[in-house]
Amino acid sequence: MSEELKESIGELLLAENIDGEITEIIPLTGGASAETYKFKVKQDWFVLRKGSGNTSPLAILKKDEAFIQNEVFNQGAPVAEIVAVSNGNSKLTDAYIMKLVEGESIARKVLRDEKFSQARKVLAYECGQALAKIHSVSLDSLTKVPRNDPYESLENLYLTYQQFKQSLPVFEYTFRWLKKQKFQEIEPTLVHGDFRLGNLIVNEEGLAAVIDWELVNIGNPIQDIGWMCVNSWRFGITEKIVGGFGDLEDLLQGYSSVSNLIIDQQEVKKWQVFGSLRWGVICLIQTYSHLNGPTNSVERAAIGRRVSETEIDMINLMFLGGK
Amino acid sequence: MIFDRPTAYELLDAVSIFLEGKIKNELPKHLGFNLQIAINVINIVKREIKSGKEIDETSSKLISDLLEDEDTMKSLAESIKNKTLDLEDKNLQSALLEITKMKLSVDNPKYSTYKELIK
Repeated sequence: MSEELKESIGELLLAENIDGEITEIIPLTGGASAETYKFKVKQDWFVLRKGSGNTSPLAILKKDEAFIQNEVFNQGAPVAEIVAVSNGNSKLTDAYIMKLVEGESIARKVLRDEKFSQARKVLAYECGQALAKIHSVSLDSLTKVPRNDPYESLENLYLTYQQFKQSLPVFEYTFRWLKKQKFQEIEPTLVHGDFRLGNLIVNEEGLAAVIDWELVNIGNPIQDIGWMCVNSWRFGITEKIVGGFGDLEDLLQGYSSVSNLIIDQQEVKKWQVFGSLRWGVICLIQTYSHLNGPTNSVERAAIGRRVSETEIDMINLMFLGGK
Repeated sequence: MIFDRPTAYELLDAVSIFLEGKIKNELPKHLGFNLQIAINVINIVKREIKSGKEIDETSSKLISDLLEDEDTMKSLAESIKNKTLDLEDKNLQSALLEITKMKLSVDNPKYSTYKELIK
């Protein structure tokens, strides 16, 4: 497997005039519907991201991911530089190669290691800046990206939830609650769709790169901010609303240093409820890919019992005044 | 019960202590991570064996108080969906809270929001 993979990567790199032997290749964990490897050519490290065939209904193709990442790079947001994209003829099928950005992506390390203590102080502000840059990408060339208003997103989420025929009263309640909300109308923007620790590479100075673009969509930009504030992404440090490390005020300040959009904290809260519900539906998708799929996965089986975590968060936000 | 001891709970307990104490530290990092998930799963099943039946009964009671002749999660979900129940109904809200807390007591009693709410 590894030799064949090296050969395919070599071919793809050669087409971009990068020549040299691949001396090391290491698998990384990388999102639900991707295989990710880092590898070394001469002195340089690169990352390969490849469709795994186990595609989430919410995910876009890898080559489209690369295209968007490139657009975001041009907008000045912290993101890895794309080196090569598979044209489909390659054995890699749907895949791309980017430069490796050094740093840490494991949430618990970013939140707890002493060496990131300085980074944690500026991270919320820098996340706000990065999001505002992502949200400023021109939509003209993004014809393949799914586009939904809040109510359409909600409807799509409901249809996905319904497929699994699992009776979840709290989900039903939350769908109704969200449908009743009046979402602030904002000109649709590019939305990362999974902006949280785990998908951010952090170094000792702060945010180095935003990774894992498979859930990208076009919609309400506050979706990304609400998602970043979902309790599941605070990894136990509940009092720090932004990712377990920061305050919402800092994130919004960073945002408004780049964008003119004024963001109301009550809107963020609605999108937080939406985010918990969306994470709950994603848990269901992963659970049922284990239950109905060909391969056994303890991890995917276990995630089915994390649905109740999202339910308690929805309840806490909707009628217990939680943050 | 016709089965001899150890009970189902005691058997799982033995397995989880064995995995945690003897195996976890022998494995390379990524497998250690997966083993921890497996141990967590065993612990969920242990808690469900211990309190699942009682939770089911309490939940059915909470639901039948709201819906009169129905007592399942399915009928509660449907009554919310078809708007038989009002979102502002305090009894509905408190039933959802109690049921969800009981689910968490089995699924993950260490979860932050749950720990806050049972203080």
